[in-house]
Amino acid sequence: MDFNAAEEEEFGFSRNYFLAKETGSSGKKSARKLSDINVVDEQELREASANIEPKHQNDVADLINSYKSLYPKWVFDLRCGFGLLMYGFGSKKSLIEDFASTALAEHSIVVINGYLQSINIKQVIIALAEILWEQLKLNRKVSSRGLPKVQQPFSSRSMDDLLAFLDGPEMDEKDSFICVVVNNIDGPGLRDTETQQYLARLASCSYIRVVASIDHVNAPLLWDKKMVHAQFNWYWYHVPTFAPYKVEGLFLPLILAHGSSKQSAKTALIVLQSLTPNAQSVFRILAEYQLSHPDDEGMAIDDLYSISRERFLVSSQDCLYIPLTKEGLEKLLSEMS
Amino acid sequence: MEFVDDLLTFEELGKHLKYQGCHVANLSSLDFTAKNGVGGCLRSLLRQFLMSSLDPADISILASWYREENCNNPVVVIIDDIERCCGSVLSDFILMLSEWVIKIPVILIMGVATTLDAPRNILPSNALRCLCPFEFTLGTPAERMDAVVEAVLVKPCSGFIIGHKVAVFMRNYFVSQDGTLTSFIRALKIACTQHFYTEPLSVILLEFASEEDNLVFEIERHGLSPEVIWKHVFEFPSCQRVKLNKLTSESLAHAFSELKRLQNQWRAVVLCLYVTGKGEKVRLLDLFCEAIDPESYNQGEFDTNMKAEKDPVLSSSQIKGHVICKAVRLVRDLSTAQLGKLLKMWENLTVGIPEINGKVKELLSLLNVEDGKSSKKDLTVTPRRHTSRIQLNIEKDSKSLSDKAANLIECMVRDYMHPTECIPFHEIFCFKDVDKLQLALIGDPRRGIQVDLLEFQKLLCCRCCTSSSNALLPSMHDTSIMYKLAQEHGDLINLHDWYQSFKSIVLCPNSKRKPRQSPLPKKRKGIKEAESQSEASIQARFCRAVTELQITGLLRMPSKRRPDFAQRVAFGL
Repeated sequence: MDFNAAEEEEFGFSRNYFLAKETGSSGKKSARKLSDINVVDEQELREASANIEPKHQNDVADLINSYKSLYPKWVFDLRCGFGLLMYGFGSKKSLIEDFASTALAEHSIVVINGYLQSINIKQVIIALAEILWEQLKLNRKVSSRGLPKVQQPFSSRSMDDLLAFLDGPEMDEKDSFICVVVNNIDGPGLRDTETQQYLARLASCSYIRVVASIDHVNAPLLWDKKMVHAQFNWYWYHVPTFAPYKVEGLFLPLILAHGSSKQSAKTALIVLQSLTPNAQSVFRILAEYQLSHPDDEGMAIDDLYSISRERFLVSSQDCLYIPLTKEGLEKLLSEMS
Repeated sequence: MEFVDDLLTFEELGKHLKYQGCHVANLSSLDFTAKNGVGGCLRSLLRQFLMSSLDPADISILASWYREENCNNPVVVIIDDIERCCGSVLSDFILMLSEWVIKIPVILIMGVATTLDAPRNILPSNALRCLCPFEFTLGTPAERMDAVVEAVLVKPCSGFIIGHKVAVFMRNYFVSQDGTLTSFIRALKIACTQHFYTEPLSVILLEFASEEDNLVFEIERHGLSPEVIWKHVFEFPSCQRVKLNKLTSESLAHAFSELKRLQNQWRAVVLCLYVTGKGEKVRLLDLFCEAIDPESYNQGEFDTNMKAEKDPVLSSSQIKGHVICKAVRLVRDLSTAQLGKLLKMWENLTVGIPEINGKVKELLSLLNVEDGKSSKKDLTVTPRRHTSRIQLNIEKDSKSLSDKAANLIECMVRDYMHPTECIPFHEIFCFKDVDKLQLALIGDPRRGIQVDLLEFQKLLCCRCCTSSSNALLPSMHDTSIMYKLAQEHGDLINLHDWYQSFKSIVLCPNSKRKPRQSPLPKKRKGIKEAESQSEASIQARFCRAVTELQITGLLRMPSKRRPDFAQRVAFGL
């Protein structure tokens, strides 16, 4: 597209925006409410949602298969030092993971699922450092780097140390890079500034190559020029798949699901299921107390600690705080009290 | 001033100093945060110099290392963005280095100051007193761009060249969008990867650039059989234009040699134009874009443009080849001394092209003769009434020399500046796919995702969704149906109405008819169940489509203030 056509298109976007605003304000606003829709029972809705028959299955499969011819080009780009950024409508999770498992079979691969609600980026980087350490030991490069054979465990090192290790100077053509696959690098678990900065620094490490996907139209706003050009070094690929967003949409509420209380209960159930058995038991104690004392505002923390300790669920008050302050449970606690 | 370009400068400087034998460490503002204090930057120094990170970080460890290294080599610490550093931490760092200067003398390279008093604003006076500063000024982005274009695209470098449309796109992207040299270089790298991946004969580029004569042999050495080469080369549009009948090794070798010769000529003329216009801020990138335009060359537009330059009605930006014309015009306005210097430069630049070099030397000798005449006239005593006439004559002579020089450069442009895209076999060396480059460099998910939804039939190639009237069909992808329906609303979409519209689209017309009431209660219950299931399915599909639009960011979900409306974020194509 030449420059004048690009200018015309930008003008078109602005015009559509103002037309839409005008339409919204000038026309009579519909008074219909969402509650006017006769929504089926939520359980039935969720079952129907799980059983939706996908359309154009064969065409979607053909489209995704057609991208396989690009795999060698993607490998070439990674070897040239670029990071691959896939965009387009549809879930790209299976496409990227198929690429990684087939075309990058000789490389170590770490997958980060950005669509999860929270991700511990430090744990990811520790895992990468451990993989690289094993790789270097195999290639017998440890002594040449002057690193002691017995060294401080990676889990106790700072982020700067870990990234400096991953950005070692001896990366050459014979070395195998480690591929970091990031599904939804613009997802809720990775969207904060600090995490994006760490990801950018990770991407600029000599032993690391990144293959990522985005789904949000405003994803580029996450990165400044340094991150785009000097760190991630993105090579954009338009690969729409029209595959359904099954896992990516798992944590998003259904628009027609009735009432916030049922939604909160569903969310609470998902979060509780992710806890350890001891932590679940702590919450059971809290719930039992609330059910037997409905008029009380809550249970005293000392009482909760005493009962938990009697039942050998926690060994110290600090251990008690860990599940109670887990992300997402604070709201749950406030609703229960 | 783009800090990402400055980062590149400091990185290159660090490499250069290391190559010269210095011990170099690169620090950034992330090493000078209030959270980590001086310990943060010390740890980073220890990590870079000693390849280990010790806690607590202590400068005495660094001093011991320096003593053990028995260094005569300087220790250089580069801080590339001091204006983002925490001033107190930076100040403590400088004071500490000052205390240890005898044991470990450090040269600090700090940048980039965007104002004259930046150091004074960041550092207190006691820290400033410890510094013995020397100031360096970085080149402007335009100057740096000219240097890159000259080294990579004009002078012989890798043999790789870009086509006119690609150059214009990259120039516009730099000037109007990104503005960083880093992105320009990145675009070149992307163009390289695309070219080397798609053009099999690009393997010979390195040999081409290294003045290798036997390129045909080099092609065969890379495992490409002659038959494959001929077939591939015959398909080049540039070869089809010249209607090559039969290709032999000799003719191919001759063609490569001719291409090299024409490129050398083109290069010499462009550099002559550049040195002519340099003082008047003629940018090499603009000149390059005009010089490689095959259309201007093929249509003989240069002469037309020179005439158009004199047209008072046309603005300079409307004239194609404006920069070249400007450079040529500048020659006419040069004084004798300036012209002499310029001709000397032209002589050096055209050494490999005897046809041009000879004419330049001719002009130089004429200039020297005129110079000799005018200095002789100065020495001779002449009556006063003849002085002004002599002065006029001198000016007339130098004017005619300038005109001759201008005519010479016009002739060089017209006859020797063949754009590469006009030469057969240029496809081996020249990358021209601007659309591919743009997609890879910029992306544009905002537009791309909307196009995917609105024109999905082009991607899925399904027959069931082809509608001549652009009507919405129930077979279409649910999210596409929903997004197209959303276009009919303003910026706020009533969810109830949206659902009803969606439902009316996905239900086939036949299914709208209610089935006849069966007399049997069991059957009536079964029908109701089927209807309920269908309703559940439609509602589930509606929910999923809304979720997918939410994931793409095209829709903002209802809020407490507007529980019955979703908000559009993007507004179509």
